[in-house]
Formats: sequence, C-alpha cells, structure tokens
Amino acid sequence: MSGPGHGRAPALTRRTALKALGLVGGGLVVGVPLAGCGSPPPAPPPSAGGGLAANAFLQITPGNEVHFVLPRTEMGQGVFDGLATLVAEELEVAPEAITVHHAPVHPDFRRPGSPAQGTGGSTSLSGHYAQLRQAGANAREAIRQAAAAELGLPADSLAMRDGRVVSGDRSWPYGQFAKAAAGRPLPADVELKAPADFRVIGRDRPRIDAWAKATGTAEFGLDVDFPGLHRAVLVRCPVAGGTVRAARTDAAAAMPGVHKVVTIFNGVAVVARSYWQARQAAEKLEIDWHLPELAGVSSPDLRRRMERALAEDGSEAHKAGDGADALPAGARRIEATYWAPFLAHATMEPMNCTARIADGGCEVWVGSQVPESARGAAAHHAGVPRENVRVHSTFLGGGFGRRLTNEYVAEAVAVARAAGVPVQLIWSREDDMRHDRYRPVSLVRFAAGLDGDGRVETWTVKRVGPNIAAHFTDDLLETIAPEFLPWGMADWASKRGHWFFENVMVNGSSVHGLFGDYDFPHQEVRHVTVDAGLPVGYWRSVGHSCNAFFAESFMDELAHAAGRDPVAFRLAHNAHDPRMQAVIRLAADKAGWGHPPAGRFQGIAAHNSFDTAVAQVAEVSLDDDGAVTVHKVTCAVDCGIAVNPDIVRAQMEGGIAYGLTAALYGEITLADGIVQQGNFDDYPMLRLDQAPAVDVHIVPGTAAPTGVGEPGLPPIAPALANAVFAATGTRIRELPLANHLSFT
Amino acid sequence: MIRFTLNGRLVETDQPPDTPLLWLVRDTFKLKGSKFGCGAGLCGACTMHLDGAAVRTCILPIEDVDGAAVTTIEGLGSRADPHPLQVAWVEHAVPQCGYCQSGQIMSAAALLAANPAPSDDDIDAQMSGNVCRCGTYPRIRRAIHAAARKGQGA
Ligand code: FES
Ligand code: FES
Repeated sequence: MSGPGHGRAPALTRRTALKALGLVGGGLVVGVPLAGCGSPPPAPPPSAGGGLAANAFLQITPGNEVHFVLPRTEMGQGVFDGLATLVAEELEVAPEAITVHHAPVHPDFRRPGSPAQGTGGSTSLSGHYAQLRQAGANAREAIRQAAAAELGLPADSLAMRDGRVVSGDRSWPYGQFAKAAAGRPLPADVELKAPADFRVIGRDRPRIDAWAKATGTAEFGLDVDFPGLHRAVLVRCPVAGGTVRAARTDAAAAMPGVHKVVTIFNGVAVVARSYWQARQAAEKLEIDWHLPELAGVSSPDLRRRMERALAEDGSEAHKAGDGADALPAGARRIEATYWAPFLAHATMEPMNCTARIADGGCEVWVGSQVPESARGAAAHHAGVPRENVRVHSTFLGGGFGRRLTNEYVAEAVAVARAAGVPVQLIWSREDDMRHDRYRPVSLVRFAAGLDGDGRVETWTVKRVGPNIAAHFTDDLLETIAPEFLPWGMADWASKRGHWFFENVMVNGSSVHGLFGDYDFPHQEVRHVTVDAGLPVGYWRSVGHSCNAFFAESFMDELAHAAGRDPVAFRLAHNAHDPRMQAVIRLAADKAGWGHPPAGRFQGIAAHNSFDTAVAQVAEVSLDDDGAVTVHKVTCAVDCGIAVNPDIVRAQMEGGIAYGLTAALYGEITLADGIVQQGNFDDYPMLRLDQAPAVDVHIVPGTAAPTGVGEPGLPPIAPALANAVFAATGTRIRELPLANHLSFT
Repeated sequence: MIRFTLNGRLVETDQPPDTPLLWLVRDTFKLKGSKFGCGAGLCGACTMHLDGAAVRTCILPIEDVDGAAVTTIEGLGSRADPHPLQVAWVEHAVPQCGYCQSGQIMSAAALLAANPAPSDDDIDAQMSGNVCRCGTYPRIRRAIHAAARKGQGA
C-alpha cells in the first residue's frame, strides 16, 4: 500500500511531517510541534488559598495545605503517588499530607524534553525524577529562609521535618511562613538529598490514591456530571473509517427522552437525558455507510497476504557484522515462523468524554493520556481557538496506550456542537472493542546460525505487519494539525506518514525487541509493511508485547537445539548487559530453576524494554486431559531506584496479568473489515480463579528510576510458552495459546 | 412508580421499568461509585447488593428492585467509617486504576457476610465474575483473607 512518491512534497510541509514522525524511536514521544505558541501566562496556582506558589507544581498555603499539580495522568501506574513522593521527599512532608490536582494543559506540565503534555512510554518517573525533587527542595528552602527571617534565627539552625520548621524543641507549621516566603526571592538549584538520606523514596507505603479508589470516590471521566448534561451514544460505521452516506433518524428521534439526533464526521449520535434512553433510541437508527477499503479484508486473507510478503526483501532495520550473509547452511541453521494477532486494549472504563461549548469557549472533562492533543481536538471540533479550551483531567479507568489518541474527544465535542447542549459521550463495551487502535498483527520469520560450540553466531529476523507511528500520525494530524494546516494538507501529510514508514525509515516500534538483548556477532533485522487499514496503536509495551514472545521463544528453541540449559544459554549471550544477567540469575534462583516441584514445569524469558530489565520464570502443570494450569510466575526487575517498591511490584503483577490475558486468549479478528469480538464473552479476560501467584524481586539500586508500567509484560508470553514446551514438548509459535491448548 | 431503599434511604422513580438499576443509580440518584464496564453481566464493575446479595446491576431492570434494599459502595463504608474490606484494600494497596474496585469490594463484602472465613476456592467462586484489567487479583485475594482474619479476631 505505497503512497504517492515524495518528489512532490513541498519542503516546509515535509519538515512538519518529519517532526510529527519524531515518534519513531523505541517508546513514545508525542511529537507534533505546535507552532506559534508564544509564551502563555503562567499556570494559575492549584488552590485559591494563597501563600507560596513556589513553581508551577507546588503551593503551600497559610492554612498549611500543600497542593501539588500532577503533570502526568494517573491510569493505575501510580504516578499520583510516585510523583507526589518525589516532591514530598525534598519538601520534607508526608506524601499523605499532599493534596494532588490533575494538571491543566500548560507547557510547564510537559515532561522535560517532551514536545507535548502526555503520559506514555513508561517515562514519568525517569522524566520527572530530578525536576520534581528540585521543585520540592526549592520550596523547602524558601520556607526555611522565610522562617529564619521571621524568627530571627540562622537558617542553618532550622530543621525541616514533616511539614514543620523545627528549632530545638519548638516547631512551627510550614504554612505560617508561606506568605513571607512568597514575598522573598525564590531559591533555585538547591542541593538535592543523597539517596542514603531518603525518608520516603524507596519505602513501601500504601499508595495515596488508594482510599478514593476503595470507597468509590475517585472521579473518572464517566463520573463527571452537572445540571443540564445530556448523554450521547454514537453509532459508527462497523468498518473502521467508514462515513455516513444517508441516515433515517425519525424513529430514534421520537423515542422517550431524546433531545436530538445529529450526524457528525464519523457517525450518527443520539443525545438524550440519560444513557439508557440514548442507547435504546440508537437501536432505531438506520444508517447507510460509505465503506472504506478495509471492508474487503478478512483475517484469513490478511494472514495469507502477510505470508506472501515474507518472501519480499523489505527494508533493513538493523544490521551487525555480516548480517544474513553469515547464515550457515545445513543443521546449524535453524528457522522458525511466529505469529501474533491484533489485540484490543479493553480498558475497564470504556472511552468517554464530556464536552460543553459556551461563550466562545469549550470545556472538556476526560481521562486522556495526552490532554494537550485533547485540547487540540476540542478546539478544532468546537471551532474555537485553543486558548479558549479548558481540559479537566480525571483519573483514567485504565490507559495501556489506548488513551493516547483522542478521537472520543473529537466525537464528544462535535456532538455537543451539533446538539447545542453539553454532552457526555459514552462508548459501550462493544463500541470500545470494535473501534480500538489495536495492537498490530505481526508475522516474523527467524533464521539463526549456531557455531560448532552451540553458540548463536548469526541472528536474522524479518517482521511483516503494519506500523503504529503511521496511524498515530493520522490520529494526531486529524485532531491537532487542522489548527495550522488546512484539511487537505493534513490529509496529505498523514498519507505521507504511511509512505514514510514503508519507504524511508523503519518504524522503531515495529521491530524493537526483536534484537538487542543479546550480543550475537552477526545480526540482521528486516521489515516489510503490510497494512490492511485497521487502525493500530500503542498497546502496553508496544512492539515488545509480541516481539519478546517471538525472540525469547526462538531463543529457547536455539537453546534446545544447542543442547544447553535455557538459563545458561541466555547468560552465555548477554555478557555485555550485567543488569540483564542479574535479573536472569535472580529470577532463576528465586524460582528454584531446574528443580520445580513434582509435576511442575518451568520456562524462562527475559527482556529489556523502556530501560528496565525483567526476567520471569513461569511454572505450569499439565492435567490428564492435557490442560495447562499456570501456577506461579517469579519475576525479577531492575528499574534503578524503586521510588515506591510496592508500586513496582504491583506494576509487575499487572503487566503479567495483562500479558497473560493476551498470551492465553487475546485475539481480534476481522470479517469483511468488521471486528468480530464485542465483549468479555468473546474477548475473554484472565480472571481471579486463573490468576497465578506472582513473586516479584527488585534488584536494589540507587540509579535514577526507569519505567515499570510496561516492562513487566513482554517476558510473560514467552516464559509461559517455554514452560508449555517443557511440559508438553510442543512448541507453540502462535498466539493466543488457547487456540492450541486448553487452560484451567 | 418503583420504590426501594438505596443505602438505607427510601427512594422512588418513574423511570421506565426496564431501565437497568446501574443507570438509575448513576444518572438519576447521582451515585457514581458503581461503574459501567460491559453492560452485559460479564465484568462485575456495576456490582451492588440487593437484599445483601451481590448482583450485576447493568442487567438488572429496576422493576425487579421494587420493595428491595439496595446498597452501593457509598453505602458500604467511607474513609471516615470504612468497611473492614476497604481498610484491607488500602493496606494491601489493591487498587491500580481503581475502576473495577467498587465492584470487587461489593462482591467480596457479600462473600464475607455469608462466609466469614472463605477458603481460596470460595474466593475463586465468588470473585471470578469480577474482571480487573490492571491485574490486581493476587492482592484482592490477600486483602480478602486479611479482612476475614481481622473479622475473626485473629
Ligand atoms: S457492567 Fe455490569 S457486569 Fe459489567
Ligand atoms: S484496578 Fe484497574 S481494572 Fe482493576
């Protein structure tokens, strides 16, 4: 599916497109630069309580409240607690004493070095580790110096402890000096604490958002409500990308409670007093669609097309040594082909957005991973300037990459505009399952060569499938770029994205994780794009989610072919990576590698992603009918310093459950372009009765933290498949495993 | 007119009798703690107690609730006056995104009310109707055991 040649590209626009494609690296960099921002006024302090607003993040009021503006969105990964902990550590207050606010959209709240305000790529703690500690330290010193002046005591005689200024046996709350501190020059670049002096970083504590989430009071997007708010249900084309040709709406409009039926850019929406009324009325719509090319695609044909594409040469993504030229012939050459399907994110909270357009402005309430592009989408679809849009972020009922795009914001705003009332657009589970940005389908073929000593000398792999960055560019350009590009140009630029990743540069996340964990002398990774047009997106751990399954299953095959123990075999090939060696040894040791309990079988896999090293050992058994039970997963992780070790453990547990669901059951299929799955009956989830025990071990460290939201996921599928091989002697090279075996 | 008690308070509604209880409670009575996850009885996010039993309210028409007692997460406990399971949930840091947790706690509370010392199998049987996409299952199991032990005075 090549686009038109690039000879016609005007230089300026191509540069814009290239910048937009700056998300080519391993993880995620949200990258459409918004020209002409100027410098906006500073972000307002989070509370009206006055006092010291030491920087964009922190406010200490005379009433002794500490307010912290959370620059990243909280979707379960723990930034609400983790980032507040960074501030608390240097400020010398208890994390529980901090009131946390979701940030408005403002350049101050971009992650340092990031061009847009978004949350993804397991980067929040690493990105803010220095910055937020510095914010806390500077504010602490501001209070100390104000206190010294007020009390007439030398500043260095005052201790700062638990939100109080302490001198001998007397102490005063920070708030008492907040006003005075606000009137003085603010200290900058205050020296940060040494890790050995940390009081809260590195300690297990219940996360500070736990109470709200255990009592039903945490506000998610779907919980937003106010007088006059209507609910909307949108009927989209069953084939992604289709548009409305004609619609009969009178029956729906006549249903009880219906305010209006409106047609927007991608479907027909019923706006009613309540969700149930809107949903009932939507059943009565009759819509005739313009179908896109995707309508001709069914999963078996797509698979055949991808298999044929394996024969193509493709583009070089990575090469070391002599590459494929070094492959031997004969018995020392080993080949295998692997497959992974499309996957839906299926966050527990279906997509939704609340929008109100009034007085030349627009407000949206949404749980988005990229509030800044939510703002761009809202501005465009409300027809108002960006600075007149306010985005109110809520907690996210799961993100996993799903909420990196903002098409639900575009839809809600378009519906609110057409209906003339504030609306909350609610996707049903079926809407959510059938209109996702799916984890791409992938087909890979490996060929490796062993040397005479049973070491891997050559590692080659070709991947066939779609490129996420091309689709993400479409999403961004369709929601943001129209502000500075006319529609035709945006369309032109987005098509260039597809062309670019097919012809100029391999999209990093299409191949990341297929190489890099081992230092084989000769390596070659090639890529062939096959894209049926189903929208694909960032799914927890992105390409690593399946590439680790491929690479670490094949590594196991090579170990067996070489007659070596899988743990020893891995350690023999990654001497360049001591962190990886350490997690493999730790996981193997804690799992009792090589000595499973009677009737149990083990498999190991290890993988680097998002700068974090993880190894996992899965332990399974087989019953008389050949059904497999997954009993236990032992996980070792090196993520630098663990800011809240219990959250690191929770993220490993969570990544394993998410990855296990995919490994066992996850599969989205197409029939005539229509996604066949709709709810948790045909897209099953791991449930508590099948959830294995998870035993997490953290390598102690003091280096700056690396991500944990995603890296726990990639090793589980190969660890499990390798354990299944140990138990059954069958090598399963396709996901989901439940298509080949039953699980109890 | 359909009447029932909601967290101990008598309420009435003239909404259509086939309206699912979840939407009545969320849209009309403005209690947002119970969540919408699947709308098909498959995930448990909408779990409330109907005369003490855990029920999936996204598929429970309000006509079936007439005269009954309904309890939501808001009626189970609060930070000031928590249910022992809520305390255990915080101590064991169960919630991640948190979206499923009202339903998880309501299912667990019905279990403990009927069976103060549940085995792992009892927990499996009661809790497998509740999906947690964030994978908090091992902690849910631990927190239920912990709350049960406290309830037993251990
Ligand atoms: S929302 Fe009721 S069971 Fe899923
Ligand atoms: S905590 Fe996120 S779905 Fe359970």
